[in-house]
Amino acid sequence: MLTPVLQLEDISKNIKGREIVRDINLTLEAAEVFGFLGPNGAGKTTTIRMIVGLIKPTHGRIKICGYDVSKDFVKAMSNVGCIIESPEMYKYLTGKDNLLQYASMDKRVTKERISQVIDMVGMEHRINDKVSTYSLGMRQRLGIAQALLCKPKLLILDEPTNGLDPAGITEFRNLIRHLALEDGMTVFVSSHLLSEAQQMCDSVAILKHGTIVKHTTVKEILESETIEWSLSDPLKAINILKEKWGIVGSMNSDNILSASLKGLSLEDVNAYFIHQGIGLKYANKKQNTLEELFLDLTEGDEIV
Amino acid sequence: MFNLVENEILKTIFKKRLLLILGILFVLIALFSYGEKYTIQKNKDQLTKRIGVSASYNWSKLSEQQIISIKGRLDNPYIPDSEKASLRVQIEQLQYDIDHGINPVSSSAGKFSSSFMEQAIFMFIPLLIIMLAADMMSGEASTGTIKLLLTRNVPRWKILVSKFLALLILEVIVLVFSIILSTLVSGLFFGYGGWREPVVAGFKVIGGKLDASNVRSVPQWQYTLMVYALAYFVAVVIGSISFMVSVLVKSTSASIGIMMSTLVGGTILSFFIADWKFTRYLFMVNLRLTDYLSGSVQPVAGINITFSVLVLSAWAVGAFIISFVRFTTQDILV
Repeated sequence: MLTPVLQLEDISKNIKGREIVRDINLTLEAAEVFGFLGPNGAGKTTTIRMIVGLIKPTHGRIKICGYDVSKDFVKAMSNVGCIIESPEMYKYLTGKDNLLQYASMDKRVTKERISQVIDMVGMEHRINDKVSTYSLGMRQRLGIAQALLCKPKLLILDEPTNGLDPAGITEFRNLIRHLALEDGMTVFVSSHLLSEAQQMCDSVAILKHGTIVKHTTVKEILESETIEWSLSDPLKAINILKEKWGIVGSMNSDNILSASLKGLSLEDVNAYFIHQGIGLKYANKKQNTLEELFLDLTEGDEIV
Repeated sequence: MFNLVENEILKTIFKKRLLLILGILFVLIALFSYGEKYTIQKNKDQLTKRIGVSASYNWSKLSEQQIISIKGRLDNPYIPDSEKASLRVQIEQLQYDIDHGINPVSSSAGKFSSSFMEQAIFMFIPLLIIMLAADMMSGEASTGTIKLLLTRNVPRWKILVSKFLALLILEVIVLVFSIILSTLVSGLFFGYGGWREPVVAGFKVIGGKLDASNVRSVPQWQYTLMVYALAYFVAVVIGSISFMVSVLVKSTSASIGIMMSTLVGGTILSFFIADWKFTRYLFMVNLRLTDYLSGSVQPVAGINITFSVLVLSAWAVGAFIISFVRFTTQDILV
């Protein structure tokens, strides 16, 4: 079996007595695009900082391509390119000089590679301008360029689409998909743009109060569907679902019953409801989206 | 390692911080040499009026006159003993100059370069070095660039050591530019000569008496080099301490502020140095190393050049160790 690109084992972090992150376990394989989602303050950035060795976990181990980040920092980081929060570059240098600074820290980076990454992020025209003249979107592009310099196996991008215009976001999405498909790069993206994550990622994890509350593939979310019924006696129907099929349904304030049928046929369920004397006004199939799942799981929390 | 040090030096140059420091240096040297010329001229005029001889031709008369006036002050019973000792030292120095044919009044580029650094070593040069060093680490922390710097495949200690080495090199650049600028600028006022004139160095003060047994007369150029070597030592010490503060504090303005107030506060504390023993272990009161060369030191028992150098070295080593430990273990939360 191949060594996983990223492994988090029981990661916890306390900062000033507060538990920011608790018992995170996560394994990412090669060429996977992974979305790390969660409301503000859920611990996304703290987790990312631990992965790249900026802060030390209070408990647990992090391995990148098999190398422990705290023990084998240099070897582990040889496989990582990252942007943490906003892409902060040296404003008094040009984009090119910024890249040269980082390139000179890594012997593997060649001159060809530098012009290659400039090309990849579409920065040819502005690369010799000072970073202080760049827009946020331009700085994001430059940030992605510096992360790609060492041809990392693991690319970590914290809120990478901040400040990009719609065309830039599409371009970025294509670049990420391309990197994963062609170069086999594993991409770890934290984002608050859920529709973005849904289009870009293979798998997602949703973080709440420092723990992963859901880790699933995007395919699975999209394939699951929820049925909504308007019934004369929804409470009875909930009991029937529970007793006959073991399905947990829920009712909202408008007395609409919703449940996921998990492969059961809707016709059979409806027929049984009618047979039991429940009046059926309508039944509606609804495809799930990541956004609904997210809101469902992080209920009551502010999403920004 | 070389590439990392090169990166750091390039950053300081492009940030224009080095340029700013050299600019300040230039302005101050220009003002200082103009001031010196003005004072010398005024003194000469006054003395010529008073003694009736032309001071520029008969400087030994002038020195004798000065000795007489200092002796007059020594008779004053209200002057404290420590100051009396220092006045006695001045008399003996003037006498030495007269005996050995050294003109204390005139100036030259050679003389200016050393006298400028003697004045700058305890406040001005440290301030410039603080501007340079206090930004080294906190500059990266306050702009957030430290995150990209510390997530490369380079261990943290190498980043720290490369920044420290870059600082040592930048300090050399600042001092080399001080010699060059003070020579070039003061030469306009006093002429470019004076490098071979003899300077007396090596006075030792023992119990308020001048011990002339170690006195040697060295050529000006050699004396200037000695002064700048001591200034570099002071720069390294101040640089290390500012570097530590910039590791501990996340904001550049805060770290510059902390260092400047410490430095200024230290000069106030130096008034207590004779009575309050603790103060002599502060780095701020031990910076006037060049005073030990020229002998113009306030004599306090137990404080000599060896003591000051040891105190300063201990501060520098301590500061480096604290920076190293803190930087390699801290969580980066900016």
